[in-house]
Amino acid sequence: MKLTLSSTVPADPSRVFAALTDPEVLRRTIPGCETLTATGPDAYEATLKIGVAGLKGTYTGKAAITDQRPPERLTLSFEGKGGPGFVRGSAAITLTADGDATRVDCAADVHVGGLIAAIGSRLVDAAARKLADDFFRQIGSALP
Amino acid sequence: MRRRRWPVADPNTTPYVGRAMKRIEDPRLIRGEGTYTDDLRLPGMVHAAILRSPHAHARIRKIDTTAAKAIPGVVAVLTGADVNASCGLVPCAAAIPDLKAPKHTVLAGDRVYFVGHAVAVAVASDPYIARDAIEAIDVDYDPLPVVTNAEDAVKIGSPLTHPDLGSNVAYTHNVSGGGNIDEAFRKADRIVKHRLYHQRLTPMPIEPRGVVASYHTGEGTLTLWTATQIPHLIRTLLPGMIGVPENKMRIVAPEVGGGFGAKLNVYPEEALIAHLAMRLHTPVKWIESRRDNAAATIHGRDQVGEYEVAVKNDGTILGLKSKTIADLGSYLQLLTPAVPTLTGLVLTGCYTIPAVKMEIVGVYTNKMATDAYRGAGRPEATYLIERLMDVVAQELKIDRLDLRLKHFPAPGDFPFPTSCGLVYDSGNYAAALTKAKQLANWDQLLKDRAAARAAGKLSGIGVSTYVEICAMGPSKAMPAGGWEWGCVRMEISAKVTVITGVSPHGQGQETTFAQIVADRVGVPIEDVVILHGDTSVAHYGRDTYGSRGTAVGGTAIVMCIDKMIAKAKTLAAHLFETTSDHVVFENGRFTSPGVTNRVITWPELAGEFYVAKNLPPGLEPGLEASSFFEPQNFTFPFGTHICAVDLDRDTGHVKITKYVAVDDCGPQINPLIVEGQVQGGIAHSIGQVLFEQTIYNEDGQLVTGEFMDYAIPRAHDIPDYILGSTVTPSPINPLGVKGVGEAGTIGATPAIANAVMDALEPLGITHMNLPMTPEKVWQAIKTKT
Amino acid sequence: MFPAHFDYVRPATVEEAVKLLAKHGDDAKLLTGGHSLIPAMKLRLARPQVVVDIGRIANLSYIRETGGAIAIGAMTTHADIEASKTLRDKSPLLAETASHIGDAQVRNKGTIGGSLVHADPAADYPASILALDAEIDVVGPRGKRTIKAVDFFVDLLQSAVAADEIVTEIRVPATAKTVAYVKTEQKASGFALAGAAVVIGPGGVRVGITGVAATAYRAAGVEKALAGQTSLTPDLIARASAQAAAGVDALGDIHASPEFRAHLAQVNTRRAIEKALTRA
Ligand SMILES: Cc1cc2nc3c(=O)[nH]c(=O)nc-3n(C[C@H](O)[C@H](O)[C@H](O)COP(=O)(O)OP(=O)(O)OC[C@H]3O[C@@H](n4cnc5c(N)ncnc54)[C@H](O)[C@@H]3O)c2cc1C
Repeated sequence: MKLTLSSTVPADPSRVFAALTDPEVLRRTIPGCETLTATGPDAYEATLKIGVAGLKGTYTGKAAITDQRPPERLTLSFEGKGGPGFVRGSAAITLTADGDATRVDCAADVHVGGLIAAIGSRLVDAAARKLADDFFRQIGSALP
Repeated sequence: MRRRRWPVADPNTTPYVGRAMKRIEDPRLIRGEGTYTDDLRLPGMVHAAILRSPHAHARIRKIDTTAAKAIPGVVAVLTGADVNASCGLVPCAAAIPDLKAPKHTVLAGDRVYFVGHAVAVAVASDPYIARDAIEAIDVDYDPLPVVTNAEDAVKIGSPLTHPDLGSNVAYTHNVSGGGNIDEAFRKADRIVKHRLYHQRLTPMPIEPRGVVASYHTGEGTLTLWTATQIPHLIRTLLPGMIGVPENKMRIVAPEVGGGFGAKLNVYPEEALIAHLAMRLHTPVKWIESRRDNAAATIHGRDQVGEYEVAVKNDGTILGLKSKTIADLGSYLQLLTPAVPTLTGLVLTGCYTIPAVKMEIVGVYTNKMATDAYRGAGRPEATYLIERLMDVVAQELKIDRLDLRLKHFPAPGDFPFPTSCGLVYDSGNYAAALTKAKQLANWDQLLKDRAAARAAGKLSGIGVSTYVEICAMGPSKAMPAGGWEWGCVRMEISAKVTVITGVSPHGQGQETTFAQIVADRVGVPIEDVVILHGDTSVAHYGRDTYGSRGTAVGGTAIVMCIDKMIAKAKTLAAHLFETTSDHVVFENGRFTSPGVTNRVITWPELAGEFYVAKNLPPGLEPGLEASSFFEPQNFTFPFGTHICAVDLDRDTGHVKITKYVAVDDCGPQINPLIVEGQVQGGIAHSIGQVLFEQTIYNEDGQLVTGEFMDYAIPRAHDIPDYILGSTVTPSPINPLGVKGVGEAGTIGATPAIANAVMDALEPLGITHMNLPMTPEKVWQAIKTKT
Repeated sequence: MFPAHFDYVRPATVEEAVKLLAKHGDDAKLLTGGHSLIPAMKLRLARPQVVVDIGRIANLSYIRETGGAIAIGAMTTHADIEASKTLRDKSPLLAETASHIGDAQVRNKGTIGGSLVHADPAADYPASILALDAEIDVVGPRGKRTIKAVDFFVDLLQSAVAADEIVTEIRVPATAKTVAYVKTEQKASGFALAGAAVVIGPGGVRVGITGVAATAYRAAGVEKALAGQTSLTPDLIARASAQAAAGVDALGDIHASPEFRAHLAQVNTRRAIEKALTRA
């Protein structure tokens, strides 16, 4: 599944970039993030409780940030699994200055499997968009 | 549906055979008093749940069962490494030359290759804990490339479903028959080409699969209850998997809630649950969930083909070439590779086509295995030939009924040898067509269509004239023998116990067989009991599939009755102090006109047989006979279906405005049951043509694993059918019956599809893949207007 | 289909239920008809620790006139709404909509409160609730508040009702007979691929659309095109209906592409307006 999203965060690109690579900020901003620990440079292990509304599942997984070109671009790759199935994929994130703010464009290639794939792509697609939107909104408000 | 009124038969004068009787088995099923596999509760029974792969293709790096095992109530958590060595390989019975087959273990080894592949099993004191346990199993998967489309799978560079086989092609099967195909194509005025797609379907019996196994350690005997169509074939094949000898194994098919071919199989779970019962020394139950049923019980169809017809300008068909790619899924179940080859057997339909050539390529993809699904091979063939007949008629601008009639063999041409190598037993195809036209009010139908079209509406009429293969079958053509066994016993009380080797699961043979027996033995139908589905009761059998129950199983019973009556006559003669040839048997009474006025009835005779104080020398006590019937050929039912549709231009919805089916299955033992089978069969086709489809996405994820996403027909999708029949007896069995379990599905799919295409014809739309969903119809209309 | 372990409590009053929700927080889930929650629990997609069954709280199932409106208790079943004479006489849209939900079993168990809170993007009521400009009462630890229909459906499967609140009543205005709900079913589930609810009254035309986007919405474009028009000609209706999915991010899945969903929204809007007018 390919997803393209964009969002505007009210801070300049270098601050947004810094936030996106700061485990402390990530832990607070990733929707449903329960734990996030660094396992190496730009590599993390996390537990997330995510889903839509009452339909939440707990996922554990890994994430890594590669192809960093501050403050313009980075690639996030992730894989997680939980009771309802698995999610894995990568997201190419580009940051562009837009006045005082930053436009964040995200092109993700997401593979989901198990129950979450089976119950209908309609929900998965919409849920992924919603989670990403929430995330960028949180990033925006987490920035001092 | 309109209520059809059946004539009420006078029970004293009319025979049971031919009566539209309600089914004897229904009251218990309707009241919820049937015993299905899930109703079984054995002392000490534990419950198994199976962890299935969420990946379409992955290497298993590691499986950690520690957390699962620690849950209170969990009895065992086992993986392929623990059980595969004790469970053997899942069998495939199809003999195809040069078949490349993967090793199919009961649980995955180091690799999973479809979503739903069984990876581990947890056994617990209740089914909830068993589910908790499989959730707690941690499997580390390394995803591998996936291929889900058979046409892509044969391309160079495609990901391989089984890297060790070196290719996704399981086999290439060539059939040719009749005259020289090249010459036929050389002589043709025109070659008509068409491409057809048969989507993948999920059989969706209302009862999913389920297994209960109980092992008696002291005796070394295993009893396995399983929701299956084939208890006997399982008893033949399971010993080789788990090492319990056949004569220490009892297989029971309790009440089975539908099969449609999906339960014509030996599944990994049957070996696995048996093994668990042996290993854990306690009975084990496993009941499939709906999701697991959608993912890990066989699918049907999934073929795509390119077809060419060589024709003369006057419509004469000289030859037919076909090239079919059949998607087998990721491994072979019992008949997986054989099903597409069945298509090759009736490729010419009910027509004289002098030369045929067919190539079938069976291909592996990362999906569930396909196998026999209602009609198995014949719906594919019939859809193909019946669509082609319309396409040819359209291209040559000749009437599609004339084209069909022109190629029908005449009634006098039977037995009719076909270019595909079969000999059709009997038929009168034109009679069925004429009757269907009459029931459909054909001329009026054409006028209505013309009027609708003139008013700017999209209105179409579809026809299909089909022939199919039933009563499977002569043993030389069947992988495991095609005979059937039966036993008829008159008890000392003159009640009749009938044991059949077929295993009905919705076909109604407890009723039809009782009708046959009651008439022939001359007892009230209430005195007849039909036993089936338990290998300790019905020692031999080849079970139920391929519309064989009555034609093959019923015949074995007729043979038993004849033997039993002959034996009874010997005793009657002894009591009359005459010889058997002076004994007359009629309506349950033995007389000997001219010798004595005495009448002997069954109760008296049955008593004598078991008390055994007055038997003539050499006559054994007891009144029971058993028989094996070996059919010399298949039977070939046929018919004509006519369907009229209106299309909604705005939404693409197809509305069936008239549906007529005339089916000839030979003499009808119970017209009500025949009609029920035809109705259900047509419903399957409505689903297939208009909305059903099993979909895997490009990642190999099954996205139609629930009734929320897999559309089956509902009552309101079913139009008011007009059903009729013609009766052409089969010479292959003494009942003259042919079989009707699959006819509806075989005849209806092309009739409905042809109707939709006919409605679209004025717009110049000549091709649409199944299913013809509203969105596809709408898109097609949009591009042309 | 075996849910994960949960505890079950059955409060007798709304107040008691509110207390239980406050106590268990995110771990608790209300249960009424169970026809959305239980399927999700069986798939283990929903795994509440505590199920608070409010389905049997006695006085929350009613349909009665209050002034110019009809008040419906949150626990009124779809079947009762479908059959209600009060609604059929005074505000027939909701009854017509209820008749399109699922099958008889679903309608006999499922409740309007449960359906609204579940906020399935393809549920039927939301279209009509929007077209009717209904009001929804909720009770929570902070007391009672009233939510307007336009504010109710927040996002995918998310309503404006907080996790610790309970819907108690839905109020719809009395309307003329010129209302209609036209739906195209998703073939497998029977939910709406696109459903259009229309209310034609002296104040203009209001249109609610469900099934097309992540939440049901008011078709503002259609309403605007028809605003102030005295004669609704076929041509005008067609032009206005073409706006039914304007500016909407339509969903796509195996059952219908975004394009087809948007198209069906237009067709069903037109048909609903035409149907409503025949009832004048
Ligand atoms: C087979 C099937 C077919 C269906 N077809 C359709 C259809 O065609 N159209 C359609 O619209 N719907 C359909 N539905 C859904 C049905 O209408 C549900 O009944 C409804 O969505 C939920 O109502 P419920 O009372 O069953 O709620 P429940 O399942 O008990 O609860 C649903 C959710 O709402 C919460 N909740 C319930 N009541 C309240 C309350 N008073 N206050 C706050 N929160 C509450 C629960 O905590 C839960 O999160 C179908 C359902 C099934 C099973």
